[in-house]
Amino acid sequence: MLLTKIKEALNSLYEDIQAEPEAAEAAETEAKAEEAAPEAQAEESKPVEQEEGAEAEAAAEPPPPPGPRETDYKAKGYHLDVDLPPEKVVAAAEILNRENFFIEAITGVDWIDDQQLEVVYDFNHFDELCRVVVRTRLDRNNPEVPTISHIYQGANWHERETHDFFGIIFTGHPNLEPLLLPEDADFHPLLKDFKA
Amino acid sequence: MNGLLQQDLNQETFTINLGPQHPATHGVLRVKLVMDGEYIVEAEPVLGYIHRMHEKMGENRTWAKFLPNCGRMDYLSALSYNHGYVAAVERAAGIEVPERAEYLRVITVELNRISSHLLWFGAFVLDLGGFTPLLYAFDDREQILDLLESVTGSRLTYCYFRFGGVYNDIDDSFITGTREFIKRLRKRMPMYDALVTKNVILIKRLKDIGPISKDMARRYGATGPVARGSGINFDVRKHEPYSVYSEFDFDIPVYEEGDSMARYMVRMDEIEQSMRIIEQALDKLPEGEIQPKKAVKLVKPEKGDYYHAVEAARGSFGVRVVSDGTNQAYRLKLRSPTYSNLSLFGEASRGMLLPDALALMGSLDLVIPEIDR
Amino acid sequence: MTFGLACCAIEMMATGASRFDLARFGAEVFRPSPRQCDVMIVAGTISKKMEPAVKTLYDQMPEPKWVIAMGNCAISGGPFVFEGQYGIVEGADKFLPVDVYIPGCPPRPEALIEGILELEEKVTGFRRWPRVEAK
Repeated sequence: MLLTKIKEALNSLYEDIQAEPEAAEAAETEAKAEEAAPEAQAEESKPVEQEEGAEAEAAAEPPPPPGPRETDYKAKGYHLDVDLPPEKVVAAAEILNRENFFIEAITGVDWIDDQQLEVVYDFNHFDELCRVVVRTRLDRNNPEVPTISHIYQGANWHERETHDFFGIIFTGHPNLEPLLLPEDADFHPLLKDFKA
Repeated sequence: MNGLLQQDLNQETFTINLGPQHPATHGVLRVKLVMDGEYIVEAEPVLGYIHRMHEKMGENRTWAKFLPNCGRMDYLSALSYNHGYVAAVERAAGIEVPERAEYLRVITVELNRISSHLLWFGAFVLDLGGFTPLLYAFDDREQILDLLESVTGSRLTYCYFRFGGVYNDIDDSFITGTREFIKRLRKRMPMYDALVTKNVILIKRLKDIGPISKDMARRYGATGPVARGSGINFDVRKHEPYSVYSEFDFDIPVYEEGDSMARYMVRMDEIEQSMRIIEQALDKLPEGEIQPKKAVKLVKPEKGDYYHAVEAARGSFGVRVVSDGTNQAYRLKLRSPTYSNLSLFGEASRGMLLPDALALMGSLDLVIPEIDR
Repeated sequence: MTFGLACCAIEMMATGASRFDLARFGAEVFRPSPRQCDVMIVAGTISKKMEPAVKTLYDQMPEPKWVIAMGNCAISGGPFVFEGQYGIVEGADKFLPVDVYIPGCPPRPEALIEGILELEEKVTGFRRWPRVEAK
């Protein structure tokens, strides 16, 4: 099935992510799973808001291993939730392009309390229903993420719009000029601290 | 010397502006064209002339106060946009919709789809130079507008849906009026066929003009009749059925050629399919409430983000709702289909003659306020 | 000149079509070029990006010229005015002299016809269609 196939393909991107905390804290991970849980939670507590509900009850359980998460389609509207660091986004887009997904939307969310900007990519498939959401979190004061417009040309405009609204720099984008705002606009309206 | 002059003339390209003020069909779109004589070397659409800050308003208004905005985004198929937003919030807040309300939603949305395609038909042929079909199309469209006005109260920018249902019930005059209208339109469709579709001039203007391949549609995320005219069998109503669409028996017209004629035929066939859906919905219309028993007073979805897609007249309209548990959205993303459809215009129009590029633009069915949101 | 920017443009087209038929009043000739027009019907929201273009078009019209503001957006910004708005001009009369205001969102075709008859009365002093009194 497409969902399992794409989940396995995207899981390969996480191999070195899982490896890093293991390399750094080699002794701790296996044996002290419970002690590592609040520590890993402190690191991962910023990102995904879906885990916040699980956080309260995960105090006793270890957090789920990083990787693509299957979500309840009826409740959420998408099937796979993939949380990645910014440098892995291009690789994920390449995997999805190989499997003939199409790009639905790219947008940003301003988490001002966490001082982070989140970029959300929506992908869908024409033949079999499988909606994949790729997320990445960026530092609010220096938001940079590589562009995927060489893989998906439709992303060209989506990224320009996200740059317009949030000020996120997509490195490698051919022309990151304002699309919806006037050409000389230097403000980013959808930031939470924007004052007209 | 003649050779030198020829060389200079051939190398000269000039930049010209198309818009932003058009004859009022599309809206305010400006296209920067770099032309070599009559051929387009590069076309770059410039947007933003009708940017009305819908997404920012989503964060500044409560969930219910955003409803009037939905109708103003794409005013030609405003009910689909209502539907997309309301369904997304209902998914987020877990609100159930009674069955009669779902059927009413489907009937009104499909009527709206027919009126949108009729207006597209008239405006498209007007772009190509034929004035008469516009008047016939508007005549049929006025009938639909009368029907919908008796139910919703507005002619163009509807705000008929509420969270959990609709706000006004239909009566028998609406049902008989709709059936009469369908009978009348069915008789008129062969007339449109003979007048326009089989017209030699139209066929010459549209056949093999503006080919869009399947891969191009996929890379740009084009959906709706633009994708279905290129052989992609993708319609949100069948692909991920929402509301009560799974109860109806209808086909999805798909044409393989990928040229403007194919996109034209897809939309004309969709009018017939919408009429089929309306007839079946009227036959199966159940009795019942149009609002849930436990009235929805205050909508406060749980924290998290949710996505819902519906099939608008122009493609797959998606709404991404990021909620933080309060009575306002934290972030509301509106994925408009025409945005993705227009983004392929730059690549698709390379090397075309200018009138052919206009035919391509008309066949993409653009509504600019929907792109600019 | 039809300055159809947004939703009101569709009602303007419907007024020119066969049911409401603006041609009865001699106002059918819609010309996109400003050089040949007397009246500019501003129909729709004017965004800050579009404002210079509207002003240019108005300046290009030869005297005598009039402006009809059609729809709530052209009168005062319409439903898109909120605190902290950054993108639209709140009404055509911020930079153009408007003669007739037609409220509505969008105004019905009958309202547009009434607006054109009002303008005719303002221009010529003579109203050719009896005014409908509310009872």
